Amino acid sequence: MAGKENTMKKTLTVLLIAVIALSSVFAQGATEATAKAGSVYWLNFKPESDAALQELAAAYTAETGVAVKVVTAASGTYSSTLTAEMDKDAAPTLFVVGNAAGVETWGDYCLDLKGTKIADELSTDAYNLYDANGKLCSIGYCYECFGIIVNTDLLAKAGYKLSDIKNFATLKAVAEDIHARASKLGFDAFTSSGMDSSSSWRFTGHLANAALYYESVADNWTACPATIKGTYVANFKNLWDLYINNASVSPKTLATGGYDAEAEFGTGKAVFYQNGNWEYDALTSKYGLKDSQLAMIPFYCGVEGEEKAGLNCGTENCWAINSKTSAADQQATMDFMVWAVSSAKGTEILAKTFGAIPYKKAAAPANVFLAQANQYTADGKYVMTWAFNYTPNVDNWRAGMVSAMNQYDADQTAANWETVKTAFVQGWATQYAAANN
Amino acid sequence: MIDQKKKLSAEAARKLVLTIIFSIISVIYVYPVILVAINSFKVNTFVKTDTFAFPHGESFAGFANFVKGMTFGNYPFYKSVLYSFVITVLSSALIILCTSMAAWYIARVNSFFSKIIYFLCVFSMVVPFQMVMFTLSKTADTLKLNTPWTIPVIYLGFGAGLAVFMFVGFVKSVPLAMEEAAAIDGCGPVKTFFSIVFPVLKPTMISVGILEIMWVWNDYLLPYLVLDRTKYMTIPIHIQYLKGSYGTVDLGATMALIFLSIIPVIAFYLLCQKHIIKGVAAGAVKG
Amino acid sequence: MKKKDTSASVSSVLIRRPIKHWFPLFMGPMLIAFCIGFLYPFFKGFYLSFCQFRTTSDAKFIGLGNYLKALQDPTFVHAFWYTALFAVVSLVLINVLAFAVAYCLTQGIKGSNIFRTVFFMPNLIGGIVLGYIWSMIFDGILMKYNTSILLNSTYGFWGLIILIAWQQIGYMMIIYVAGLQAVPTDMLEAAMIDGASRRQTLWKITIPNVMPSITICTFLSLSNGFKLFDQNLALTGGQPFLFQADGSQVRTTEMLALNIYNTFYGQGANSRGIAQAKAVLFFVLVAAIGLIQLLSTRKKEVQQ
Repeated sequence: MAGKENTMKKTLTVLLIAVIALSSVFAQGATEATAKAGSVYWLNFKPESDAALQELAAAYTAETGVAVKVVTAASGTYSSTLTAEMDKDAAPTLFVVGNAAGVETWGDYCLDLKGTKIADELSTDAYNLYDANGKLCSIGYCYECFGIIVNTDLLAKAGYKLSDIKNFATLKAVAEDIHARASKLGFDAFTSSGMDSSSSWRFTGHLANAALYYESVADNWTACPATIKGTYVANFKNLWDLYINNASVSPKTLATGGYDAEAEFGTGKAVFYQNGNWEYDALTSKYGLKDSQLAMIPFYCGVEGEEKAGLNCGTENCWAINSKTSAADQQATMDFMVWAVSSAKGTEILAKTFGAIPYKKAAAPANVFLAQANQYTADGKYVMTWAFNYTPNVDNWRAGMVSAMNQYDADQTAANWETVKTAFVQGWATQYAAANN
Repeated sequence: MIDQKKKLSAEAARKLVLTIIFSIISVIYVYPVILVAINSFKVNTFVKTDTFAFPHGESFAGFANFVKGMTFGNYPFYKSVLYSFVITVLSSALIILCTSMAAWYIARVNSFFSKIIYFLCVFSMVVPFQMVMFTLSKTADTLKLNTPWTIPVIYLGFGAGLAVFMFVGFVKSVPLAMEEAAAIDGCGPVKTFFSIVFPVLKPTMISVGILEIMWVWNDYLLPYLVLDRTKYMTIPIHIQYLKGSYGTVDLGATMALIFLSIIPVIAFYLLCQKHIIKGVAAGAVKG
Repeated sequence: MKKKDTSASVSSVLIRRPIKHWFPLFMGPMLIAFCIGFLYPFFKGFYLSFCQFRTTSDAKFIGLGNYLKALQDPTFVHAFWYTALFAVVSLVLINVLAFAVAYCLTQGIKGSNIFRTVFFMPNLIGGIVLGYIWSMIFDGILMKYNTSILLNSTYGFWGLIILIAWQQIGYMMIIYVAGLQAVPTDMLEAAMIDGASRRQTLWKITIPNVMPSITICTFLSLSNGFKLFDQNLALTGGQPFLFQADGSQVRTTEMLALNIYNTFYGQGANSRGIAQAKAVLFFVLVAAIGLIQLLSTRKKEVQQ
């Protein structure tokens, strides 16, 4: 019996000590938080820009002495990383809320940016995101343009000029002709359109956007619609068929992908490559292509009046300030943002990293595609905005499209295209219902 | 006499046949690992298109992939290796020591309380990581267990289940008679454990050790959520950063880094092979 | 659960009581870490399954709503049956093969060490990477037949089985080897002297003595089969999807862990709460199955 008592005593003492130790740790944690001066913690969205942003942060700290921490989330994990980091004592003060669904989820963590210093620096409101109550939740910090990149030298070798391509009909004629003569010319029309996760977003996102954009204009979308009609899915099919049937790889091999379309284009194996302005860096430095060889044409898909179309511009990179951090942190963050978009050093680094930033004092980027986008706008052509930012659940919708398109690629029947249409139209409706019940 | 000889040569023949069969199976079995090794020397674009071919001519990239993988991003690769190493060694040592002691306690003191703990350990093996992932990350943050030196506590907590489960199973192979003899000789529980039970459990410890080392060395999610990534990274996190935000993966560099991360573990396993045999021959005293 | 030894009272005094005094040293560290690293997150996770939350700190209690939604979700039910089938098939395949290999490699044939290393090597490669490698291999083969692993659920299923068998046989083999080496040699010698055939020795002596290993391996492969995530994500990602007329999609090769993961970042204001509820249901189901299996095999174990 005495033995048992002793053990109880020993256990209790140990537990008591443990509790005391733990609580002292907790107490320490609490006091630490209040004593800090304002600092910035940016949870970055793009792994490629990590190095440049570390440089930006270091430059700011050197100049002002304010601590800036930039942590980059691994590709495709932004949502889970943000969830984990927001929970911690030192939560991010600057984070990315990129589309309507993001505003739904993180809306009440966003500081209202209307009328703030950083909002004053904007050169356009096109990339702002508002919530249902009109609160300005996030503002774009860079934007991108997407379209079909063309190698004008190869196009010339095939006997065509850039001005020959004005709409879908002409694009189709040129592409099919090049594809027919591919073995003689030594290059093909389109690069491979792989459907693995590294490449499918180009088609389930930006290419499908053509159909969404035209419908958004026709039906005047101002918020996420509960259902969509899919009026322009046939046009999406026009371009998709063109892509997969006029490339050097068989459509049946696209499901697992693994192709390197950028390399195919960079090494001169294809004339057309769908992607965005950010490719400029890789194409010129890695593959040595020259400015004069590069151009970008809009998504011509057979819609009435598309001769007036411009590039597909928009962004998912929008800054939001954490409204739940201390006032000192919020102020420090806002100061950092203003510095980044207006100081010489800041704008230089941002221009180099992101290309186009929608701010008044932005440095002019050397990017040929962006210059072209501006030219299109100057010529009065309309910008094809990122209507897919309205998608109720981007990941689910695109995953469904990938699966449906894989089945279509394997066997290009009308029935299989109906599956794609179902994923497009009914998928949206079901996902909207699930997200808003 | 002749019968004995016949039996022996039949034995030998059977063993030879088995050796041959296993040699063939082994080559096929290890093929995917060889594939990783081959592809780490291939130029990135050829990894997917010519997966099975040997690198030659324009697809041969020499050590370019290795260099690229190790110098990518602004975090030095050798540091990732160092931290992976630190975390793995500390966690495994901590787990083996603490759980073997706990398992011995549970198996010998068969009380209601210890049975509850045992069942909790078993159940912990079934819990999907997503269920506890975010809370664990918050807890680690609150208790400041977020450096490579303190994260082993979390690994002990989450990995204790499996280790305790396995040790309890094997403690039954330690003869009670030996422990009783030691106790009669005047050994306290601590001495009994370390001088008698510990040596007998060696093969089990190595088996459990290998499992824990494999788990911690390849673990991506826990260090990713818990560690401050501007200061500390591990090899799996480093490999994951090779994936660009547009989803492009530099397959050549990825294969190279994977290959590099496999080498220490193979080396470790080959070293331990000797100890398993030694331990069983010398340490296990039966009957 | 434990067989009553004849010297029960002796061991109780000599072994049991002294050890109990040393409770803080033997159990202390493990228990503290276990509470921090598992018990607290688990119970908090359990609590969160009754809440609506975005980060774990802003949880609002809402009662059983999440559970109702989880049970009504057809993808969850599909994922459960699919995963159960997968777990059973993989369990049988892996354990039979692992035991056979371990048995052969403890017979003292030439090169056993090399073979054991070779069989263990697959375990060195982590989940997602393994998925990529096997996806390359399967599609390298399937491309010749003009199909892909992402286009056919049956190929997806067997692909996953092959992948997990390849990875885990070595793992289980190690445990079986340790167990086989612990079989008392005197019993084996006695059997040989008595003229028992190879098969009789195997079934009557070896297997009962290897029961601890069998218990552990069966339980491990069962729980691994149910918990499979990284490889599922990397190999098939749940494809191919079957589309219902109303646009909802059934991910035909999606297993439970992937389903929970997708729910986490899925649609709905409270997708996370529902995902937690699914995780709890998953845990309860697998724990129940595992418990039944454990109890039945533990009974057959032999204490020295």
